[in-house]
Amino acid sequence: MSVAMATNGTPLVLVADDDPDILALVGFRLERAGYEVLPARDGEEALSLALERQPDLAIIDVMMPKLDGYEVTQRLRSNQATSGMPVILLTARVQEADITRGFEAGADDYIKKPFSPQELRARVQAILGRR
Amino acid sequence: MSLDAVVWAALALTAAGSLCAYALALRRLYLVRSDLRHRAGEERLRTVAVALAEGDLPQADEPAEEDLELVAELLARYSRHLTGEARSNIARFFERHGLVEREIMHLDDRAAWRRARAAFLLGDVCSLRALEPLLRALQDPSREVRSAAARSVGRLGSGDAVEPLVLALVERRVPRAVGGQALLTLGADALQPLRPLAVHPEAEVRAAAAELVGLLGEPGDAGLLISRLRDSSAEVRAKAARALGRLGAEEAAMELRAALGDRIGFVRANAAVALGLVGDRASASALLEVARSDEFDPAQAAARALARLYPQMLWSAARDRTSGPHLAEAADLTAAAR
Repeated sequence: MSVAMATNGTPLVLVADDDPDILALVGFRLERAGYEVLPARDGEEALSLALERQPDLAIIDVMMPKLDGYEVTQRLRSNQATSGMPVILLTARVQEADITRGFEAGADDYIKKPFSPQELRARVQAILGRR
Repeated sequence: MSLDAVVWAALALTAAGSLCAYALALRRLYLVRSDLRHRAGEERLRTVAVALAEGDLPQADEPAEEDLELVAELLARYSRHLTGEARSNIARFFERHGLVEREIMHLDDRAAWRRARAAFLLGDVCSLRALEPLLRALQDPSREVRSAAARSVGRLGSGDAVEPLVLALVERRVPRAVGGQALLTLGADALQPLRPLAVHPEAEVRAAAAELVGLLGEPGDAGLLISRLRDSSAEVRAKAARALGRLGAEEAAMELRAALGDRIGFVRANAAVALGLVGDRASASALLEVARSDEFDPAQAAARALARLYPQMLWSAARDRTSGPHLAEAADLTAAAR
């Protein structure tokens, strides 16, 4: 069981995106679905929050300032404390090469922008339900 | 001029300058304050707007009349990030409050900037009521309005927009990048209406359709594109060849090899590129011949296709000093990439 679940019983989801609108949209949907949301506005903040709070899942935008989503995912994977954390990449880059690069970096899934909030919730539930 | 006059003139200039500076400072202050108010309003209404987009806001909590504009602005922005049911919820909000009709009316405004603004906004309100007025706006005298309308028509996601968009593209009423992006935004929804356009009476329409089918199509579209390799227009033949390459249509290899003998150089060049993309190894000797002896573009394309298919053959052919510059260039590029 993760640190976050141990404190209040609600799964904690890190959402990292430099666009406040996306943070609001994703955050609202996940909170309504019963998750606690940990927002981050750039790659560095996402990485430090992930290491500090060890969320149950991270939803990370690919194109972010400071560190991009691929880099954040790789660093999460290479750290023992976060190596098993599921990562979903949120990306407007849906070329085959970009998707492959995301999976090679260690992502478990990806959601393309623009996104459907229902699909997002379903994917989050599917990943957390498997754990 | 007397000294008094000079002094008075200097004083007048100083006073006018001070007044201007004061007015500018006041204006700046006003803009900063209104920006802060706007941001505070957005923060206050963000949750309401997100709940509306999610269809999760009770009727009783609808935003107050004075907040409608700000909520509409937020929802228009959100619509660019969302698909599915959320877009329908956003459309319902705009329709319920008469905002769609208001912007449609603005499409007839005398000021071009207001028409362009309305055309742009209507793409974000997600309401199909805006489709017909936006399609009419593709004929607007102002290029900005037509461009905004094309972008918005693409965002509304209706197959009915495909033919008008393609026509606007080929008649150069909208910039190529804007029209093309609008059609790509429509994605797979555009395919069905696009296919009949590949046999349209106008060659430019057929060419645009062939190119777009190559970008959006599926393997089953190869037959349609193969038939366009025998089109009377060279532009159509070239686009069809390129599209077959993009689709990786192996079944088109024989026809593409035949297109290497087309009498128009850019058709041969596109056929060569396509053969490289579909990975037709049987075309190696034909490509080698084109690379050695054809005009610049087909020869260069053939050499590069050969580099994808048979690098060993390319390298050994490039060693022969009489084989021409294109094989040598492609060999160098391939070697550098390794």
